[in-house]
Amino acid sequence: MGLHMPRGTLIVCLLIVGALALLPLLESRYLIDLATEIMVYALFALSLNVIIGFSGNVSFGHAAYFAIGGYVNAILLTTYGWPLWLSFPAAVVLSALAAAFVAYFCTRLTDIYFAMLTLAFSMLVWAIAFKWRSVTGGDDGFVGVAVPAFIDSRVPFFYFTLVIVTGSIALLWTICHSAFGQALVAVRENLTRAGFIGVNTRMMRGLAFVVAGTFAGVAGAIFAMYNRGVYTESAFWTESAQVLIMTLLGGMYSFFGPAIGAAVLYILERFANEYTEYWPTVAGLILLVIVLVLPEGLVGLARRIGARLVRRSGA
Amino acid sequence: MTPTMRITAAAAALFAGGIGAAQAEIKIGVLYPTSGTGAVYGVPAMQGHDMAVDEVNAAGGVNGEMLVTFARDTKLKPAAAAAAAKELITKDNVDVLVGGLSSAVGLAISEVARQEGVVYIATIPKTIQMTTTKLHKHVFRTSSHTDFEGDAMAQIVAQLGKTKLCDIQLDYAYGHDLAAGIEKGLKRHAPDVEKVIDLRSKLGATDYNAQITQILGTGCDVVTSGLWGSHFVNFAQQAQPFGLFDQVVYISGGEIASHEIAGRMGKDYPDNVWSNTYELWYDHTVPAHEKFQADLAARAGTKETAMWPVLAYIGVKFIAAAAEKAGSTDADQLAAALEGMSIDTPVGPRTIDPETHQADTGQFWGPMVRKEGVDYRVMDPVTYIPAKID
Repeated sequence: MGLHMPRGTLIVCLLIVGALALLPLLESRYLIDLATEIMVYALFALSLNVIIGFSGNVSFGHAAYFAIGGYVNAILLTTYGWPLWLSFPAAVVLSALAAAFVAYFCTRLTDIYFAMLTLAFSMLVWAIAFKWRSVTGGDDGFVGVAVPAFIDSRVPFFYFTLVIVTGSIALLWTICHSAFGQALVAVRENLTRAGFIGVNTRMMRGLAFVVAGTFAGVAGAIFAMYNRGVYTESAFWTESAQVLIMTLLGGMYSFFGPAIGAAVLYILERFANEYTEYWPTVAGLILLVIVLVLPEGLVGLARRIGARLVRRSGA
Repeated sequence: MTPTMRITAAAAALFAGGIGAAQAEIKIGVLYPTSGTGAVYGVPAMQGHDMAVDEVNAAGGVNGEMLVTFARDTKLKPAAAAAAAKELITKDNVDVLVGGLSSAVGLAISEVARQEGVVYIATIPKTIQMTTTKLHKHVFRTSSHTDFEGDAMAQIVAQLGKTKLCDIQLDYAYGHDLAAGIEKGLKRHAPDVEKVIDLRSKLGATDYNAQITQILGTGCDVVTSGLWGSHFVNFAQQAQPFGLFDQVVYISGGEIASHEIAGRMGKDYPDNVWSNTYELWYDHTVPAHEKFQADLAARAGTKETAMWPVLAYIGVKFIAAAAEKAGSTDADQLAAALEGMSIDTPVGPRTIDPETHQADTGQFWGPMVRKEGVDYRVMDPVTYIPAKID
């Protein structure tokens, strides 16, 4: 590992971004919407993986920061009439601050206690969104977000999302592959040992949490504008569970795994919804399969198949 | 709509015109919750929707064009509903959206309709915002709303001559809106009524003992409420041992007079309850209702039928009438046709206000009484309180 992306990965990434940039040429409103939604969820899942895959903790409350980003951006844009270049950073900063606050308490704990505390804080965010009707619209949702004119139609918004998400992912990649990211991996692998060699493990885990919360906030802020609305459900634990499944499905030990998981799960869900009302059953089965057969997710599966092919051709 | 039915509808659309390929159709995107907790309402609603579509198509369609349904499950989640609504518009190219259940879902679909410039007819959501602060040129509502509902409740309070009122509502959008609707209604119809206490219980709550004893302690002679579905069932079961229903008249919105609740509670349904419903399977005051109910019963396979189908049914009938009048499926022309449009429905005539886009959908109100020979309560007498606020 180092700060240089392997050439193969870099080429694939550039190809994907290039293909996305050309997508509007197909003139399919459906594909543009779908791609926008997937990009948002991909960023959301990648951000969660900083906690799970890199620092080795499980958060059951990651939706809280997605929701905070969404609500803050929506409220500043609409209720207070702030311009986007102020409201968006403010939303991201507030998500980061909220994550820092929660991290301060959660990092005192490990394992299941850490996970439960993240869940508790996220339900607190949900309760605030639900109860503070005069500001958030309560469970009617905050509908009618004033999206700035330059991104108020489909294609410009798609490019806006593409730029922000690509930039955010590049930044996340850099963070995760810096010395900081490698220290996180050390913490994940052996907390005690990392502590003994001088890593401030609590601070590292806290910082990972803040990084994750920040980028979840970015995803949330985009999503609020995309939907022209934010709803209490975006802070609910089911939303946290959904992004957790995305991360696990893609593979938590790979940087890009969660993005793949997000795309696959989201597309599956959309197609399933067209043909059956039993999506929760499908999602449950997917989770079972991951836990029982694919602990390293789709990326892990691809690696195993790749390794087998190499062995066979070598033999 | 099941895939088989969808294929049948598509096949019917193909054959009716005789010239297959050139056959135009009117595509309806329908959004009800058909899984999870919302399925209790969404599945019967889909029955009413399908029945109306089949009726229109059997009669030759609209200007020779068949109605075709594209259905999506909203899962009772606004963001999922918004995504589904967008998909219906961009992938299936639907001409019009219909459905919705819960205020948040209705508002989310309405927002998509506004963005995409497609007509949306809300058939179940009652939030007052939809036709006031969040009104736009492509949204219409054929269900009632909380101001109409609250006004009707205040009229009943006045009619029964009650003086001390306790209000208990669920602590979420519908509960707050209904409380506000009752408040406004009381000012108009019963200004002398003293409101003793405002109680709020959690959405999904199952324990009401605290609130029940509080109500008993205040000495109210009337309770107004919007506890719907299971909330009411739990409340009633816990309140009966305390004799609450012997002390007060319980006037409730939330359609607990519908047969879904009356049938489910059977002999446990308490005394002294006045409530509302959009439709009663046994009430044929409107002559067209008899055939409607018989058809629905045949479809559902039960003699007693649910209240939700009629709401979805009316939504489709408005779409058909508007498309016929407009002679087009262009959103602006459909919207223009819907403004001020009147149609006859199995529960009486309905007119959409050209300004507010709200249909004058009143509800049936009355006391729920025992009846010889059946083990569930029925509404008697049935009074239609029109949607009118003077």
